[in-house]
Amino acid sequence: MSNRPTDMSGTSLIGGAEVRSSRPLPVLLIRIAAVGAALALAPLWLGDSRVLMGVAVLGLAFVCYTIGFNLIFGSTGQLFLCVGALAGVGGYGAAILADRVGLSIVASILLATLAATFTGGLLSFVAVRRSLGVIFTGIVTLIFSLSFEALVLGLSDLTGGDTGRLIDSGTDTFLRDRIPPYYVMLALVLVFLLIHGLLRRSHIGWAFRALRDDEVAAELAGVDVARYRVYAALIGAAMLGLAGSTYAFTEGRISPTTFGFGEVDVVVLVMLAFGGIGTLFGPILGAVVFTVLDEVLIEFGQLRVVAYGILIIALFLWMPRGLIPTTASLWRRVRGLEGSSAAKSTDSAARNLKAVSGESQSPE
Amino acid sequence: MLEVKGFSAGYQGNDVIHDLAFHVDPGEAVMIIGSNGAGKTTLFRAMCGLLSPSSGTVLFEGDDITGLPAEYIARLGMKFVSAERHLFPRMTVQENLLLGAYPGKPDPETISGVMDLFPRLAERRRQHAGTMSGGEQQMLAVGRALMSRPRLLVLDEPSTGLAPLLAQEAYQALGVLRERGLTVLVAEQQVPLAMAFSDRGYVLENGFIRLQGTTEELAANPGVRSAYLGVT
Amino acid sequence: MTANILDGIVLGLQFGLLAAGLTLVYGLGGVLNLAYGQMAVVAAIVISLAMDAGLPVFPAVAVGLLAGGMFGLLLDLTLLRPVYRRRDEARVLLSLLLTLGVSFIVDGFLVWRYPLEALSLHIRGGAIEILGVPMRRGSLVASAITLITFAGLYVFFQRTTLGRAVRSVIEDEEGARLVGIYPNRMLRLILILSGVLAGLVAVTRAMITPVDVHSGLSITVFALIVTVVGGLGNVAGALLAGIILGIVNVIAADLIGSYISLIILLGAAAVTILIRPAGLLGVKE
Repeated sequence: MSNRPTDMSGTSLIGGAEVRSSRPLPVLLIRIAAVGAALALAPLWLGDSRVLMGVAVLGLAFVCYTIGFNLIFGSTGQLFLCVGALAGVGGYGAAILADRVGLSIVASILLATLAATFTGGLLSFVAVRRSLGVIFTGIVTLIFSLSFEALVLGLSDLTGGDTGRLIDSGTDTFLRDRIPPYYVMLALVLVFLLIHGLLRRSHIGWAFRALRDDEVAAELAGVDVARYRVYAALIGAAMLGLAGSTYAFTEGRISPTTFGFGEVDVVVLVMLAFGGIGTLFGPILGAVVFTVLDEVLIEFGQLRVVAYGILIIALFLWMPRGLIPTTASLWRRVRGLEGSSAAKSTDSAARNLKAVSGESQSPE
Repeated sequence: MLEVKGFSAGYQGNDVIHDLAFHVDPGEAVMIIGSNGAGKTTLFRAMCGLLSPSSGTVLFEGDDITGLPAEYIARLGMKFVSAERHLFPRMTVQENLLLGAYPGKPDPETISGVMDLFPRLAERRRQHAGTMSGGEQQMLAVGRALMSRPRLLVLDEPSTGLAPLLAQEAYQALGVLRERGLTVLVAEQQVPLAMAFSDRGYVLENGFIRLQGTTEELAANPGVRSAYLGVT
Repeated sequence: MTANILDGIVLGLQFGLLAAGLTLVYGLGGVLNLAYGQMAVVAAIVISLAMDAGLPVFPAVAVGLLAGGMFGLLLDLTLLRPVYRRRDEARVLLSLLLTLGVSFIVDGFLVWRYPLEALSLHIRGGAIEILGVPMRRGSLVASAITLITFAGLYVFFQRTTLGRAVRSVIEDEEGARLVGIYPNRMLRLILILSGVLAGLVAVTRAMITPVDVHSGLSITVFALIVTVVGGLGNVAGALLAGIILGIVNVIAADLIGSYISLIILLGAAAVTILIRPAGLLGVKE
């Protein structure tokens, strides 16, 4: 049991917007439905181009990845730098189960998702058990990412190694058509949003926020920090695995770069940071903006990477809370309102608890 | 040599010490006495550049050093030995001492002077500072501060964590330094020790200076006697 | 087997040198520099371009090392300013993210502008026999340079006032300040030093295998692995871990396969974090 309070000051970097949890359920559903409706229209523009629809499907996959990462990192402060790898467990796992073992597509996706879930939960459990701070959690999960990549490259008979593999299963199904995969992924997105939205409003969501803001205070308030961290990781990893495996079948081919660290994790980090770490719709905003941006900039080739680098720096220097919370607070300030009172009360509550527990302030 | 006026400082917007004023003349031994939490440490930290004061001025030899960083002040001839000592645990006694004269190297006279004063340090030259006893660490902390030949030595509760005999030894050493002309400002909870050593003193209570005077005056003061000397 | 061990030592010395710069910066400044690999690559490309322009080897190398040092200085002056304003975990996290961004900028730019540029320093002469195993001259020169560098680092940190001052900041920053040492200046010095070390990494590596614009990430990853195993902030640990991991890497690659040996190395780092986070020679908290 993690009794030693890990310094959560790292997550002060990311802040995260406080939810006004008294928002009624129908509002949440309406918002999700609205987002769904808006995204559902995309094929109207892009439906003719197989390439563009492919990009759109990938974009939705990234939305799913970002929501999953948001749940793990944004909700409970666990820096899991293995988003791609977990999705890859889903993707490669499902592909191998379907093609080599002969399971049905649904069964393959289910089992692969389970594997990813278990892996994510295990990583979290180990991190919590060993009281790894944010940094070491990041390093360990990065190690997992790189190991997964090396494993995929190494077991080339099974995985197709460097060049990847084509996925035979599902070639004749609707999954390989031009437009249906988009709606399949969109369905996933909406389900994930719903799950996340419901979680936030629940006791679990409250526990997440409590432990992210001040671990010691949360423990004092009775939150089993370890358990909730693992919960978040399990749910997030499940999302990643599900998204990864589903995407694999729609795409028809996967390779190490489909789920690589540089290709997935970094991008997801930027998307989430931009949209707003810890917010509900931040992942959508971030993923949509960057998918579009990436397509627009595609002719610049490698210079896009430079742009990403500049964006990462700018984001974490000036807008660590992401676009949504930053503009929201700017908006509030413009309208003459105080900063989020919900945030203030949780912050001061946390501070009070800290004072009570006898933690000394550093005199600097 | 040292003049403090209207000095206030604290943490996170709350002042712990308020509007303090005192001075130390060359060659004097001055004490600041008070119980735990009176603000002695806050005062010294703010004075010596580890903490930003909220108001007031500190003049050292006529120069305004208010709010300047500790590393700058340390090079001006005023050395601070904090209660935690802040030695370099995995470096040897020798290395700790050598750094005391940063940025230069200490001259042989100074080194032998310190070694004479603290013979035990000479014996443990190559020992890692972190493995030494409390008393030895205190000696090392003072010794290190002396390596740069400071004109003013500021000590925060040098008796901390020392057995009574060792604490007395420490003050005896300080006495020797005084005879050699060093000016000393010491904050102390163990009032009798400080009184035996100092010429003058200030009584700090809850962040305010309540009393000041020569050691004789303070020792005769009934309030001081009951609060700090255990006399009813 | 002897051949493997010797090759392992050569690789291990490389690893150690790789980790030295990274671990120094972390130990002193609490900063994790994920752009470290790019620092080495920049030095390599600068040297390569200088040699293309006609500069003889030694001046070109000097320019490259200078470039590495400048990179470090630039980092200190710009991006690390906001990092220094934070403490402990927040500082490491922000430094991680910002240097990641820097690594992207540099990597993207170099790959776009000089996609084919690579540095290769060929040491003339045939193989030399050590313990009955013919070793390439390049490997031996690289190892010698690495050993000399470590010796130099040792002398600097143990015998010079400045080196001691740097160590003191790692030991107890407040104590160092009370003695008149400016922690920020020491950090700047170490950042420049780490840049020069990155340049040396590029130079020695180029004697064994070409260093191209794509090497950045793998250099950073290996540096990170060795740093973690050796103990964050511990230069001797970096050397020791480097040699051990180098030998393990060569033997494993020989017996099992190169991908699996990479997993073994990664596993070693993970195991270290889980079992003994302080690393081989680090100090237990």
